Amino acid sequence: MPAQDTMTLEIFRYHPETDSEPRFQSFEVPYNEDWVVLDAMNWIKDHVDGSLTHRWSCRMGVCGSCGMMVNGEPKLTCAAFLKDYYPFSIKVEPLVNFAVERDLVVSLDGFMEKLQAVKPYIVRDDVNDTSGGEYMQTPAQLAQYKQYSMCINCMLCYAACPVAGHEDEFLGPAALALGHRYNKDSRDQGQSERLDVMLMGEAIWGCTFVGECTEVCPKHVDPAGAIQQAKAGAAQEYFKRFVAPKGAGA
Amino acid sequence: MSAGGVSGGRGGRPARPSGEAFWWAVFSAGGVMAALFVPAFVIVTGFLLPSGDAAVAAERSAQFAAAAGWWPVKLVLLGVVSLSLFHCGHRIRHTLMDLGMRGASGLLKLPCYGGALAGSVWLGWVLWGI
Repeated sequence: MPAQDTMTLEIFRYHPETDSEPRFQSFEVPYNEDWVVLDAMNWIKDHVDGSLTHRWSCRMGVCGSCGMMVNGEPKLTCAAFLKDYYPFSIKVEPLVNFAVERDLVVSLDGFMEKLQAVKPYIVRDDVNDTSGGEYMQTPAQLAQYKQYSMCINCMLCYAACPVAGHEDEFLGPAALALGHRYNKDSRDQGQSERLDVMLMGEAIWGCTFVGECTEVCPKHVDPAGAIQQAKAGAAQEYFKRFVAPKGAGA
Repeated sequence: MSAGGVSGGRGGRPARPSGEAFWWAVFSAGGVMAALFVPAFVIVTGFLLPSGDAAVAAERSAQFAAAAGWWPVKLVLLGVVSLSLFHCGHRIRHTLMDLGMRGASGLLKLPCYGGALAGSVWLGWVLWGI
């Protein structure tokens, strides 16, 4: 029986309770053509080192949990096949631009705060009034935002964005794309509330249209395009409020 | 272990709307000018007008220069060039911010937009004299 081919994974390790510095640890894993990086990591956790800590759930590119840096690129590890790297070694690191909690697990706190700030849900003034039935929508109205609704909050775009790493005020690609998604939804009435947030400081203006967010998006959302469209709307609102300040007539 | 960036949340949350909306609007308008009209200007003044027979080319150039003395043309030229300069200034400012000068974003407005304003004033002065 021929010997099983193997591959080397160099994995970022950091346990804050014992490690003063992060380090890399090499693991030999069986090479299987149909394995993805996540399979190899789960094999390590099950057979070699149970303390290896990483997030994952669906294994099919839907949950957005398993985003990591694979050879320096933000990737869903459930969609990064070993065969695309074989026979070379693969370096796995936590998503950059985020604080590391343990090994490959990063803190979601800042992202969640930014996401909540744009109210990524339908806002209605008449939320309790269902007497008119469901909110109807034409295919053309659906097409206005459908692409942006495909975001799975995997945060790869934040790891790819050079501004997200340096500007705390910047809401970032996914949050802005989702805010734009609801602003474009014909059933929504919360655009003014979202623009209150987007118009502040560098919240949206920090984007310098590098475009890497769109390049790395595993769901083919176009956050860079969404941000540029949202900027146009925010600029119109800025001049509108300059001429007639919000609440002045109330 | 903090890598900065996203995990910091919105710690530096600003209290007031940003004037960046104004600069972005000028940048955006300048981008349209720079993308649509500047290449056309370059083709017309740099290639089409000087092409062919020298005497004919000189006559064409003189006609074009005379047209630049007409006020609507002056305004178009000033608008195209001035907005393009502000587009350029905004892009340079944000490139410098990306290169590590984010802390000086306010200070960078002076050379970047000041330079665009100076260029616009100079062009206005030149056009005024035609």
